[in-house]
Amino acid sequence: MASSTLVSGSAEIAMATEFEIDSQTDEMLETSMELRVADVEGLSEKPKTFGQLARERFFGHKLAIVGVIGLILLVALFWLGPMLSEWEFDERNVADRLLGPSSEHWFGTDEIGRDLFVRTARGGLYSMRIGLIAAVVATVTGTAFGAFAGFFGGVWDGIVSNLVNLVLTVPAIIVLSVFANKFGASAVGLALVLAGLLWTRIARVVRGVVLSIKEQEYIMAARAAGASNSRIMFRHLLPNIVGAIAVEVTLLLGTVIVLESTLSFLGLGVKPPNASLGTLVADAKGDIDSDPIRVLTPGIFIILIVLCVNFLGDGLRDALDPRAKGSDSSEAKNAKKAAKKARKQSGKQGPGYIAEARTDRTSIGKI
Amino acid sequence: MCVMVCRPSVPVHTTTDRSVATLFAYVTRRVLISVPLLVIAMYLVHVGVSATVDPRSDFYLCLPRCQEGFDSITETYALDTNIFLRPFTYFADLFSGDGLGFSSSVGEPVGEVMRTRGWNTAMVAIPAFLLGAVLSLLLSVYSARRQYSVGDYFFTGLSFIGFAMPSFVLALIIQVIFGVKLEEWFGIKPFNTGRKTGENFWELLRDITLPAVSLAILGIAADSRFGRSSMLETLNQDYIRTARAKGLTERTVVWKHALRNGLIPLVTLWALGFSALLSGSVVTESIFSWPGIGQTFLRALGDSDLDLLMAIVMFTGVLTVIFNLIADVLYGVLDPRIRLG
Repeated sequence: MASSTLVSGSAEIAMATEFEIDSQTDEMLETSMELRVADVEGLSEKPKTFGQLARERFFGHKLAIVGVIGLILLVALFWLGPMLSEWEFDERNVADRLLGPSSEHWFGTDEIGRDLFVRTARGGLYSMRIGLIAAVVATVTGTAFGAFAGFFGGVWDGIVSNLVNLVLTVPAIIVLSVFANKFGASAVGLALVLAGLLWTRIARVVRGVVLSIKEQEYIMAARAAGASNSRIMFRHLLPNIVGAIAVEVTLLLGTVIVLESTLSFLGLGVKPPNASLGTLVADAKGDIDSDPIRVLTPGIFIILIVLCVNFLGDGLRDALDPRAKGSDSSEAKNAKKAAKKARKQSGKQGPGYIAEARTDRTSIGKI
Repeated sequence: MCVMVCRPSVPVHTTTDRSVATLFAYVTRRVLISVPLLVIAMYLVHVGVSATVDPRSDFYLCLPRCQEGFDSITETYALDTNIFLRPFTYFADLFSGDGLGFSSSVGEPVGEVMRTRGWNTAMVAIPAFLLGAVLSLLLSVYSARRQYSVGDYFFTGLSFIGFAMPSFVLALIIQVIFGVKLEEWFGIKPFNTGRKTGENFWELLRDITLPAVSLAILGIAADSRFGRSSMLETLNQDYIRTARAKGLTERTVVWKHALRNGLIPLVTLWALGFSALLSGSVVTESIFSWPGIGQTFLRALGDSDLDLLMAIVMFTGVLTVIFNLIADVLYGVLDPRIRLG
């Protein structure tokens, strides 16, 4: 690629290389740079940028669309529902306790007469908020550690890798319970505890990606052109791992919501007066024989949220599949082929993420 | 000049000898790395746990009167020493006569509690593991053979739901259906230690079924997906085409040629899953009132039973390390292309 457009002359080579590299990253950053090489290779049709391909793949992914729409609907329900309802979140009315669903109380009432629809909506939002904070914190931490380890290597890599191993050695759920019990009273506290144990997976993924990218020619070229470490990191490495991170953060979100609800169910996470979907299940657990619906409603909402989040993550994974990117984007033909292949696989291969998320699931999820 | 030539002659090994030696070296190295990691982890966990859990919390209200009990607890857990030094007291006690200490919540020595509760957990974990392994194997072969069939889509959908389902929701649903609605079939009764003996095998089986099944289902959802993609990959390999071209029956091709390779990643997952099961499932055990490690843990946490908490942390940590090692070794043994590095 570079040879076809490079200007001869020693002074300009460095600049031209740098320009080429930037344009390469820009394509990945969804700016609408075209692959000029296409003409060189005799392709008459206009090749699509990575961003366009990714968008196309994402919107062509039915499950992903279902996930997005589902999430929007759920948030709307949780957000707007309580406004339409005449009841308050912690308004007690003991005379109306343990009512079944009716037009007045859409989901019925609990054992001290609080409206369950409003509580479920509020709990759902609370769960989502904790999940979002924890996932973002874990992602930022994990990315920072992973990129640092992968980029600097050597001793730093050793330290970070051992730190990751250390966290993985600790029996997560046990430690999580102990700390969640202590800090679970506030949403941020609980989210930070969850994030403290969940950043390791992202760190490993990012480290791996950075390790493979940093040996590629364009990084070497940038280095030869005198780019500083931070410029290489933020200008050349980060744009390339954004896809992997986006996928990880959505999948992590699902894990976090399941974990949070589980801890809250055990009485170790969210504390009253706050409610999350997990505490709602726990509240109703005692009456499971007589009134199973009250137990299952919040449970079904947890499943719906996680399902939508996972669909979204699945779609993102297929859309931002690094294989579709190709190791060298000058290979427009190859990239297209790979994209086609990925699209084919995305439709057929099914949820590949399950396998990868499995390791976390075994150590944390199944408690 | 003769550096290369004059080296002491290396004893000649057969291939198996050498691979056993490599394996041994690998296991030794991994154990040597794991032990300090585990010790550091234990240290940090001890600091963390004693910073958040206070065994004396019940005593503050009655302080002047119950000074004696207060002091004895302070002495038992060395609460008057610096929090960063307390783990050393704990480790010192481990190797002196005290062993794992005494569980205040159960009222027995911790070693004894861990033994009985660990056995209870194993009674659920082993059937759950076997059931999960067999079903996930069958499901992954089925889905890979009948890719895009109605059945394949059905199980894909199920696994999506299973993957999104928290363990407590699953356990509660199972309890509602089989414990409440079909009580005449499976009565959910609290665990009775007297019933564990062989004479009442059927009652024991009745107690074990529901927790074991709900634990198994959680594993199947993910394992069968993983097994499916692994089997699909294997079935598309050239050597499978060759096997078919030779005229082997489909059964031989799938169950003998493909399964051997397709199974390898699953075996690793099973090893990891088994360790998670053996460490006790907090939610499932407490929903089905099964007195295993998980339920004991919740109780210890509620009662600030420091010694028992630490023993459980150590137990699960050791299990995780051991089974991770087993998983890696199995991977290397089953797939000779993978070098244990």
